[in-house]
Amino acid sequence: MAPTDIRNDPAVVRWFDSAHLEELTPEEQTHRLALLADFCDHAGQQPGELAAGVLRTTKDGDTAISAKRRTAMNTSIDEFVDKSGFSGKEAVINGNIIRSFLVHNGIFIQGRAWRG
Amino acid sequence: MELMQVMGNRRSIRYFEPDKPVEKEKVQVMLEAMNRASRAVNADFVKVVVVYRDELDPDVLQQLKTPTTTAEIDMAPVHMFCYLDLSYTDGAQGRLKELVQLGALNASHGWSEAYVDEVVWATVLKPIASDPGILSYIGAIDAGVAINQGMLAAVDQGLGVCLHAFNTEIAKTALGIPDHWLPLHLLLVGYPAEDPLTGGQRPRRSLSSQFFVGNASTPWQEIPEVTEQCKKTGLIQNPVDAAKRRAEVRALAQRFGLPE
Repeated sequence: MAPTDIRNDPAVVRWFDSAHLEELTPEEQTHRLALLADFCDHAGQQPGELAAGVLRTTKDGDTAISAKRRTAMNTSIDEFVDKSGFSGKEAVINGNIIRSFLVHNGIFIQGRAWRG
Repeated sequence: MELMQVMGNRRSIRYFEPDKPVEKEKVQVMLEAMNRASRAVNADFVKVVVVYRDELDPDVLQQLKTPTTTAEIDMAPVHMFCYLDLSYTDGAQGRLKELVQLGALNASHGWSEAYVDEVVWATVLKPIASDPGILSYIGAIDAGVAINQGMLAAVDQGLGVCLHAFNTEIAKTALGIPDHWLPLHLLLVGYPAEDPLTGGQRPRRSLSSQFFVGNASTPWQEIPEVTEQCKKTGLIQNPVDAAKRRAEVRALAQRFGLPE
């Protein structure tokens, strides 16, 4: 999947709008899109499916987060970062770029903070 | 710092200097401030487990890190797990009697050793102790008063604080929490990595929308001179500038590699 393939995905548009990512340089924006596109390939899902997959509908019809699927997503992000060969601060940043996409699509999720 | 300034300066701090340790002396001052808080039946409502992140067993630290807590644990060097001790009515008669003997509770208001010995259990303490709902909410109020004093003591010492929810089951096992401690809050403590004043005060509604005089339908009318005085003492401060704050948050997120 290429960065341009996902830019107009509604979940990506929502991410860019909510996080004000247009304020970043074109290179920074492309980096984020490329990373998310690669993660979509890793997960075998479209961007919108990533976020939707962590959500569940309660018996009352409300939208909630599945704790189990969120944990699985966090693990998947860590695996993706490892597989991509990132290390140190770069690993933390890039994992959290994926989490940023999820956060701005309604998923409360946290990754490591860089303490170096 | 003057008290009004401390109350005006308090913010929920969410970015801490992760590697700047909090002095144990400052933690003790916080605990002492909690211990001085107003409390019904002179009970020790709040129980706090102070956890120094970097002194914690690595396995326990790992258990506490979940998809909703990892960044907080990485950033805040001190975690205070706050609980309500539901056994607070135990020994209450003895403590009340002590207060009568010390003149804190007086005949002027109806208190006596006889009342404490013979009446107070059945009419006051037993109804509280036998109703889990009442037991919890009365205790939570007094525990909250204590926690707030600790928070203000932290701000007075240049620290940042923030109350958080936490995974109570994991903490219970990892920290050996007894069954009769009801989880309340996780109080994160550390030196702020962000502007301690977070760019300004967060929005609050008017006094007249929350406070009333004489009855519940007559709003409190603000006295403009008092409002001005509160600004001078630092209790009321400038509101946050959202654009500047967003720029600060972006810089903090980039520094720590966190989601923007």
